[in-house]
Amino acid sequence: MFLVRRSAPAVVIVGALFSLLLGSTPARAVSVGGARSSYAEELVASALEGRLYERAEWHTLLHYDDGWFGTESLVDDPSFFAAPNGKSDPAAELEATVRSFFAAPPDSGKHPVCRFAARFEWLVEELGVDRTWLPVPRCEPVEEIIDRMRPVKVLLSFPTAYMNSPASMYGHTLLTIVTEHDSELLSYAVNYAGETDTSFGPLYALKGVFGFYRGYYSILPYYAKLQEYSDVNDRDIWEYELSLTRAEIRRLILHVYELEDVYSDYYFFDENCSFNLLYLLDAARPGLDLTHDRGLWVLPLDTIRAADEAGLVSDVRYRPSKSTEIAHLASLMSDTEQERAVALARGQVEPAGAVVAAVDPAGEARVYDLASEYLQYLYIDGAVSQENYVPRFRRILGARSRLGNPEGERSIPRPPRPDLGHRSSRVGVGGGVLDTRGFARTTYRAVHHDLIDNRGGYLEGAEIVFGELDLRYYPEDEDLQIEAIDLIDIVSLSPRGRFFGPTSWKVRTGWSRRGLGDGRRPLVYDFEYGIGRTYRGGPLGLWYGLADVTAQLGGSLRRNHAAGVGVSAGWLTHLGRRLQFHGFGRAVRFGLGEYGTVIRAGVGQNLELSPNLGLRAEVRRSWVDDTDWWDWTLRLHVYH
Amino acid sequence: MKRFAVVTATVCLLFAGTAAANQSNTGCGIGTMIFEGKDGLLSQVAAVTTNGIFGNQTFGITSGTLECEQATMIVASAQVERFVGENMDQLAMDISRGQGEYVRTLAVLLDVPAEERTAFFVKLQANFTSIYPTDDVTHVDVIQNLETVLKG
Repeated sequence: MFLVRRSAPAVVIVGALFSLLLGSTPARAVSVGGARSSYAEELVASALEGRLYERAEWHTLLHYDDGWFGTESLVDDPSFFAAPNGKSDPAAELEATVRSFFAAPPDSGKHPVCRFAARFEWLVEELGVDRTWLPVPRCEPVEEIIDRMRPVKVLLSFPTAYMNSPASMYGHTLLTIVTEHDSELLSYAVNYAGETDTSFGPLYALKGVFGFYRGYYSILPYYAKLQEYSDVNDRDIWEYELSLTRAEIRRLILHVYELEDVYSDYYFFDENCSFNLLYLLDAARPGLDLTHDRGLWVLPLDTIRAADEAGLVSDVRYRPSKSTEIAHLASLMSDTEQERAVALARGQVEPAGAVVAAVDPAGEARVYDLASEYLQYLYIDGAVSQENYVPRFRRILGARSRLGNPEGERSIPRPPRPDLGHRSSRVGVGGGVLDTRGFARTTYRAVHHDLIDNRGGYLEGAEIVFGELDLRYYPEDEDLQIEAIDLIDIVSLSPRGRFFGPTSWKVRTGWSRRGLGDGRRPLVYDFEYGIGRTYRGGPLGLWYGLADVTAQLGGSLRRNHAAGVGVSAGWLTHLGRRLQFHGFGRAVRFGLGEYGTVIRAGVGQNLELSPNLGLRAEVRRSWVDDTDWWDWTLRLHVYH
Repeated sequence: MKRFAVVTATVCLLFAGTAAANQSNTGCGIGTMIFEGKDGLLSQVAAVTTNGIFGNQTFGITSGTLECEQATMIVASAQVERFVGENMDQLAMDISRGQGEYVRTLAVLLDVPAEERTAFFVKLQANFTSIYPTDDVTHVDVIQNLETVLKG
């Protein structure tokens, strides 16, 4: 692979002699330039001969993807390539890249050794390039960046699910470059995000799914990302420390550097924030190849699991969000103390004056700490104006500062690791009885979690299901039926309490069987949207009530449609670690199209056999006008 | 506490010059210091906080970026200035409690040796009202007051 190196200085001397002899400097320049270009050609020949364009490193650095229609880079920005056809031709791109390193220094903008910094470093090593021949022997700006940044380790940071934004329901991942500074706040966050332009939900979703947005990498101080995720969006953050060496971190930074201002079309499901971060890890450690097995979708949690399975994760840390801190602090306090903190935060009582004669300094400190945290939460939430926030905040902190440090740092218990929870997809097999007819049943769900799935690592009261198919086979009639196709099924049951007052909601759409007064159960398309409230009944779990509107379309319905309003209520709880329980009821009054009242009530139970195995039993009874029927099912779920 | 770096306003103005020349949305501070004069993403290490809530200068400010011209500071490096400016509320909370990640980071930026940190936290906590004397206190005031407290 290595070239026989020509001694550059010797050639220069020969060139100089020539120019002396000829007595003209341009001749010398031509001679050096000529030697340079023949050296460039030699390198190109060697690169092609060594078939470097077939190497995994080259494909990783260029984000090449071997798809159905041949090899193509997932990067869409032409400026990322040296060759005009570089997006689809790895060999042409290699050739043009090697030649580009010999370009004269530009008057403005970046030289190719900077534009293609990681590729440059790899090719210099692979081809044994003699840098003295290069007009720009190294990319100085990136060297300075690395010198000043002094990176020591890299974290894969995972802000957990945020139910109130469709783009962040699965959480998010970013890379954090930790510096030599003895504080993680001074790290840098490398983020990949789509540049979105509309907040109009359906359009936003469509554009996201079909790749109309451009994705860019960006770098921010880590504390800015912490403010965004943990303080503003109330998302706990998990930090997975990666076992990258300094040399690997250097390659990672070089690759980020060559991706600056370069866009790729952003796709919510697969070419998303999490998938694109994997390229940085692949570039850091050749052979890792985390980007190779891209399925139809890439969830942030899958990224973490991929990194973990590749042996990259060396340590795991947990950063609670502001609301988790508030809830924890409150759990240490009596009702009276909590009420005082709320009154302080809401400005209903004044903080103590200059002298604080606290009987119980630790308890008093907790009250002020909770008050300042909660006041900040209210301010971010828009419930307190800035005019009120600033003086109140400063007075509370002033009073707190006179209480010393009676407790030391409070540590918040770490919940189960989200990446150790059940896998994202699910297959179910089982059977049941519909009134008197027995059936065999199989289900498949693309992603990701329902209310009573195995719960370790998942948010309580949150259901996010995309793409579930439910098939039943009735042997008596030799009849295979689609029982349901869930396109989208999202439920957010977040309990209200003294500190937080969230609204619970649900959105469902897909095809399901709808009972009619004559006993038929045709498949209809159904859309359902509801809002309501959830409360926590202490150890008894969550209780909720929702009001909803619903619309159905189907050939078997009167005038092919039905629309109505409904109410639902339920109880969600768990017994011990392994048994989840959900009891529910729903009544819908249809007033348009197919008239009538549909009532359904039932219970569902899930027994966790192992993290990726569960046994599900469900019983439902439905009433439509004068008829009613029972539905009993038992299923074994395998998460994979 | 003489060990805290003394950087004059000239340095800051210097940064302001380059920052203004290169990218108008980047003030002085850690980003400019590290990536000064570089175009593009890595150098942007954006001076602007994304949520724009704890942006700068005073408590609870919602927009704007740090401008070096406003810094008549005597003590503190650009890094300290940016950190204090962009984490006003969090730092104040930590100082009032005498502990926490933000005040620990301040100690790191000021090169306070590990064995002196507890005393450092206690001193700042005891002087909370001198560091944050008014509601409209700015990050520049805070840095000056910190210096006064630490010298005393």
